[in-house]
Amino acid sequence: MSPRDVGSGIVLDSVGVTFGGENPVIALEDVSLEIPAGEFLAIVGPSGCGKSTLLRVVSGLLEPTVGTVSVHGKTAEQARSDVEFGFVFQDPVLFPWLRALGNVLLPDKILGKRNPTHGPQTEELARRLMRDVGLAGFEEHYPAQLSGGMQSRVALARVLIYEASTLLMDEPFGALDEFTRDRLNLQLLDVWARARTTVLFVTHSIQEAIFLADRVVVLSPRPGRIVHVATVPFTRPRPLELRYEPAFGSLTSRLRSLLETDGES
Amino acid sequence: MKRNEWTAIRANLFKRRWITTSKGFIPAALLALLAVAIWQIVVVAADVPAYIVPSPAEIMAELLAESSWLAADLGWTMLEAVLGFLIGSCTAFITAVLFVHVRVVERAAFPWAIVLQTIPIVAIAPLLTIWFGYTLVPKVIIAAIICFFPVLVNTTRGLRAVSNQAMELMNVLSARKASIFWRLRLPSSLPYVFAGLRVAATLSVIGSIVAEFTGADRGIGYVIVQASYRIDTRLMFAAIALSSLAGIVFFHVIGWIEKATLRWPEARLDED
Repeated sequence: MSPRDVGSGIVLDSVGVTFGGENPVIALEDVSLEIPAGEFLAIVGPSGCGKSTLLRVVSGLLEPTVGTVSVHGKTAEQARSDVEFGFVFQDPVLFPWLRALGNVLLPDKILGKRNPTHGPQTEELARRLMRDVGLAGFEEHYPAQLSGGMQSRVALARVLIYEASTLLMDEPFGALDEFTRDRLNLQLLDVWARARTTVLFVTHSIQEAIFLADRVVVLSPRPGRIVHVATVPFTRPRPLELRYEPAFGSLTSRLRSLLETDGES
Repeated sequence: MKRNEWTAIRANLFKRRWITTSKGFIPAALLALLAVAIWQIVVVAADVPAYIVPSPAEIMAELLAESSWLAADLGWTMLEAVLGFLIGSCTAFITAVLFVHVRVVERAAFPWAIVLQTIPIVAIAPLLTIWFGYTLVPKVIIAAIICFFPVLVNTTRGLRAVSNQAMELMNVLSARKASIFWRLRLPSSLPYVFAGLRVAATLSVIGSIVAEFTGADRGIGYVIVQASYRIDTRLMFAAIALSSLAGIVFFHVIGWIEKATLRWPEARLDED
């Protein structure tokens, strides 16, 4: 990793987050990470290990209690106000009064000229993104008329419309069935391969993490700490069958054992 | 997944409830018919004098006989009610927007809004009549005061009924305050606003009638007071029936506007 890469990427330096109150909870402790621009980084860990907190700190939604975050040489807050991030939340967070297409177009309506894809063809782009995520024909449906999986896909199309340089994804496909999840994983890799965005992808699934990512960060719970950073050795493009290879299986079990031993201590 | 299943189930319940309520006026109408029938029979059978309790048939006859000038009085009362409703609701809405955006304003003004709410309007009405005379003004003010609180409380709640994640989404998009208001807060508040408006609609009619009691030369309230001096119970009942009908119609007009405005599924709160 050359210094130039790091400078244009995301750097977390001994970041800690403590939620106050009478019984303070340490959500993250001493997290240092260097994520070069264009990397696909997966973050795995059990519930309550601060995965979501980590994404919020990187995106400038949450100020770390200690430590610093720099994104493309700016502070996280600056990067946020420059709309460098696309955030996919655990819940789809769709606006119930907008139809599916309207929800996909929402970032464009808010950003206006700040959206690099803004223009007369934006609606066409939104329709294409909806087709890409398998929602052709559902453009005029309201969110309440869509299944949970379809809502998640609307959220995915919505984040792709403004081509943010960094995608932060908080278990975006957690609510989906396995087949849809596989399909969206491939689509996400496709988007990433073309746009070369930086992706921080939080998931419960070690398999999903290894299949998608260049590196996998393993977090331990309470306090959230980096236990291990594994580099995924598999070349791209990766077929879905990769997951049945012995090497894939052994990496999966190695990471799983890391999580389990830490849970006992 | 679970959450979405729940919304689906809730949507279904809402749908079913809507069907039952739309056909559901039939039992209510039957009950009313039954009550009127019993009333008629009892009054006739027991030979109750009309100046104590008139029979429904007599009230109906009175309504038809006096319909032309009763309609004029009703129109006057409704004018007061609708004006008060518009003024009170708009003021409440603007106040709620201020409350949500400037916390200090809420801390300063909300206790006084409650005080305003606790003052009985029957106590303020005579004062307003002294100040403004037998004009439209005191009635409109009373109707506006009575509409203010339910709209204020509901709108404030509605403007705040925005999920943290939706706010985070807007922040990630670096949305400006105006954009957050128009695209997120306002639409998500509308179901609450309309719930408040429906309450305010019925209250505004009551408010204007009460204000008319304390000094008026026309309107349904004036009719009731005059009829009571003459112990004209038939006319009193006719006026009561009319004012109640007017309140119900106003309530449903707001309901229709709501239905036309909130087009998305599950938008309407407390469907019945």
